[in-house]
Amino acid sequence: MAKASGLSRRGFLAAGLAGLAVPALSACAGPVSAGLAGSQLNPKTLVYWNLFGGGDGSRMQAMEAGYQKTHGGSSSLQSTTFAWGNPYYSKVTLSTVGHKPPDVAVSHLTRAKPLWEGGILDPITDDDLASVGLSPDDFSQAPWQAQKTNGHNIALPLDTHPLVMFYNLDVLGKAGLLGDDKQIVPLDSMEKFEAALASISKVTKGPAITVANVAGETATPWRVFTTLYNQHADATPFLSDNGSKLTVNWDIFEDVTSRIQSWVKKGWLNSGLDYGTAQSYMFTGKAGMYLEGEWEITTAQLVKGLKFDMAPIPTLYDKPAAQADSHTFILPKKDRSPEQRKQAMGFIKSMLDQSMTWAQGGHVPAYLPVADSAAYKKLEPQAHYASAAEHAVYDDPAWYGGSGSTFEGIVGAELGLVQQRAATPAQARQSIESQLKIYLNTPSPL
Amino acid sequence: MTTTAVRPGKRRSYVSGAAPAANGARIGTSGKTFQVVSIIVLVVFAIIWLIPSLFALKTSLTDNGVAALGAQAILTHWNPTLHSFASFFQAGDIWNWYLASGITSVITAFLTVLFASMAAFALSRLRFRGRNVTFLLVILGIMIPTQVLIVPIFQMLNWMSLLNTYWSVIFPQVPAVIAVFIFKQFFDGIPAEMEEAARIDGANRWQVYWSLIVPLSRPVIAAVSILTFVGVWNNLLLPLFVLSNPNLMTIPVGLATVQSSFGQRYADIQAGAILAALPLIILYLIFQRQIVEGVTGSGLKG
Amino acid sequence: MTTAQAPAAALIKPRSARTASAQPRSISPLRRGDGRSGWLFLAPFGVFYLVFLIGPTIYMIVASFFNTSMVHTDLGSFAGFANYAEMLTRPDFWSAMWHTLQFTIYTTPPLVIFAFVFAVLTNRVRHGQWFFRLAFFLPFILPSATISLIWVFVFTPATGLWAYMQQLLGMTPGNGILANPNTAMIGIAIATVWWTLGFNFVLYLAGLQDIPRELYEAAAVDGASNWSQIRFITLPLLSRTTTLVILLQIIASLKIFDQVYLMTSGGPGISTQVALGLVTGTAFTDNRVGAASAASVLLFIVIVAVAVIRQLFDRSAARREA
Repeated sequence: MAKASGLSRRGFLAAGLAGLAVPALSACAGPVSAGLAGSQLNPKTLVYWNLFGGGDGSRMQAMEAGYQKTHGGSSSLQSTTFAWGNPYYSKVTLSTVGHKPPDVAVSHLTRAKPLWEGGILDPITDDDLASVGLSPDDFSQAPWQAQKTNGHNIALPLDTHPLVMFYNLDVLGKAGLLGDDKQIVPLDSMEKFEAALASISKVTKGPAITVANVAGETATPWRVFTTLYNQHADATPFLSDNGSKLTVNWDIFEDVTSRIQSWVKKGWLNSGLDYGTAQSYMFTGKAGMYLEGEWEITTAQLVKGLKFDMAPIPTLYDKPAAQADSHTFILPKKDRSPEQRKQAMGFIKSMLDQSMTWAQGGHVPAYLPVADSAAYKKLEPQAHYASAAEHAVYDDPAWYGGSGSTFEGIVGAELGLVQQRAATPAQARQSIESQLKIYLNTPSPL
Repeated sequence: MTTTAVRPGKRRSYVSGAAPAANGARIGTSGKTFQVVSIIVLVVFAIIWLIPSLFALKTSLTDNGVAALGAQAILTHWNPTLHSFASFFQAGDIWNWYLASGITSVITAFLTVLFASMAAFALSRLRFRGRNVTFLLVILGIMIPTQVLIVPIFQMLNWMSLLNTYWSVIFPQVPAVIAVFIFKQFFDGIPAEMEEAARIDGANRWQVYWSLIVPLSRPVIAAVSILTFVGVWNNLLLPLFVLSNPNLMTIPVGLATVQSSFGQRYADIQAGAILAALPLIILYLIFQRQIVEGVTGSGLKG
Repeated sequence: MTTAQAPAAALIKPRSARTASAQPRSISPLRRGDGRSGWLFLAPFGVFYLVFLIGPTIYMIVASFFNTSMVHTDLGSFAGFANYAEMLTRPDFWSAMWHTLQFTIYTTPPLVIFAFVFAVLTNRVRHGQWFFRLAFFLPFILPSATISLIWVFVFTPATGLWAYMQQLLGMTPGNGILANPNTAMIGIAIATVWWTLGFNFVLYLAGLQDIPRELYEAAAVDGASNWSQIRFITLPLLSRTTTLVILLQIIASLKIFDQVYLMTSGGPGISTQVALGLVTGTAFTDNRVGAASAASVLLFIVIVAVAVIRQLFDRSAARREA
């Protein structure tokens, strides 16, 4: 007994020491000393976070490889992709609050605003821009003006990504809706558009157009609604005063939502389809048109045998408008040496320089040297819808708003129900008002 | 109900010696039918219970392209490949995640065992004013649902500048009150005479604890260590919010938050799921009895 | 902390095996000086206990009365009971509480019944018990991340294993169990039953060990069939384990987070949002630490109440036994 216990005690001690010795022995290893001593991981490596999956993800990886090639190999950059939406922005916030933010991160323009308000971002000065040969004139004005907050530059736009219309060439050809240039004929009035829906529906013997709205899909119904809403001359901001006032014009809300319901009733618009199925309807000719952000170009191009094209959303009401957001680069707040600042700016510049790669994924470049280049203008079908970015409508600033936010989740879910005809416009309004009440009445915690 | 997970001197495994299983000699015809029905029902359910794990394993050994086609393709395709595992190990993240999980689990288990057993020693073997009140406080602490404290714990770690270090995962998990209780119950069962003999021989209290009590407590130390290790390894909530640096993430957090950018690579995802669990499966196969008894003990007592 | 330690966070029976050493007799010379040593031995654990258990509890209660923000270091402006009033009138707070209850209702019966049946049958099998213990218990020690990745994949709409099984059985698979607000919680419950059944299974196995063999032998002599032995001996004698299992399940359900976060993130919509999901969302997405603290305190009160019930139940049961 005594012998055994002696062994056990020594074993216990040894196990404990081994546990402590592992880190001690490998103290030189990056993560271990960072994890135990809080030291910085490879100070020379630029840490970059993003939220790009799918086609965007592989293009971003190609651009990162481009940066690594010219900046000293794979150790020059550490890139991490997080799950999209609120979890990503939580990570950016928590890491900055915890003093370990990335050097550069991607943010939607609409989400950069609340981050800025919460003191999460370092402003980007004109000197920063100049240090890598950039100036404000290098960016498209719509996103550039949209990111400016209280006179500060808070985010450098990489692109604008408006809601656009995808269409199946075979179906639209049969419906007689293609012009001589093999592009969709202009449908810029409600009458023309609805007539087109009717004739497409005859061809498909089903829906003419699809909008994803079930299985957690709240963003697309919001994008479609706010596009049509803002085509009205009398449209007011949905939210004002940083989200403390609900200022939506309920008459237009009622008008647009009941119009959407009427399309569903007539069988022109799907009642309930998830994100993937909604696009496969258009891909397979079960529907003629499909509304989604232009990034789905990558998916569409991979479908074998599919002939498709893209166009801005037709102007059904008074003026053109397209819901949009921009991917931007932000500098999370941290102590940076002048070299680190320059390094971060250099990375952003390198990404902007590779905007052409990015544009192939559908996004409209915000970096004018690329956007105005002949090469981009020749890119098809990008050239057919790029003008939509000029009428970009960004979500109203609110501490709980922006792409993939709580606001989009609440309102988009109700709009999805309207499309399913599970809620009347009046019920949706009531539900939106009651769910937003908490957020409207809560002073911004930022 | 008196089955203690670990008890000095006497250990009982509840696997063998159970009454119903042992009365084989007197099983009649109805008993035989019962046995057969029991076994059939059990085997059917055991297979159902194994299917999800085996399906995950099969998927992880399938080509990503085939896995994307769905369950039918996965089940009918028999060209096993280790490609998904290889790509995980090449990517490098997994090593950092294993490191984080391993270091945090081992250090937490070590500190928990050391501190909890010291506290239990004081509460069980030493006489001093305030001991009963302290014990009462400790017992009350068992009722505190630590998960609910995630927000204030985050704030405290932030003040201490410990966020994004392994310590932010380790420290909040060290005060495991249940461990004190398990140790105290064990120590209570050690005869006082042994201790008194040692004290008369001139041993001080630390020596009694270290040279007498700790060696006698090998089984309970093993049980608490393993349970703490498994608990820390599997914890999601705490590291999910206190670790935002991908290099320092524990493996469940890494798998949950860092997404690969090649779309739906199902085989890779299942390979990740298996890799996260692999060390625990190995641990289970080695320490099966301690784990089962430890879980039972903490369940019955805790 | 979510799996193996989940039971650990519950309650202890203060019915310890008090042996010779438990009661202080006369203070012997050897006992002098125990006081200082006692506190020294308690100190390391005590520091962690105070800093990481009591401290956060107090901070949580204080912050619940303030408009504390995640991105500012101070407590923020005083809010009085506004955070509580908000939480208690928020429809999503109540729906989160309802989903927690829904989860408890879905998971408890199968977790009790299956665990009981499997344990009784396993206990009667003479060979291969290790296999059944492996099959039923192993999932319990796996990380929630593994469980969730496996089950989300099994539940893949149209092409997943679940849909495939439905097709084989002649059913038409729908949009996917996790994609439909009406069935998503059922999907989470199925994964949870598969995951945690092993815990109840070993508790029942342990309980079965304590039933004296003589009872069965006597019953067998009296000609009782296997079924009536289970009905009249096993079931009543395991009733205490059953109550324990149910109470532990309720406490665990109140703290459910991992599976929901990983499998549905509370969706579709908020149809599977649970209390801890609301707390972390309010704190880490909305940055509202004050409001999240109020929700935490409310959840805290509910869990402690259940824990006290268990404590009381255990005491009375112990007294009846004794």
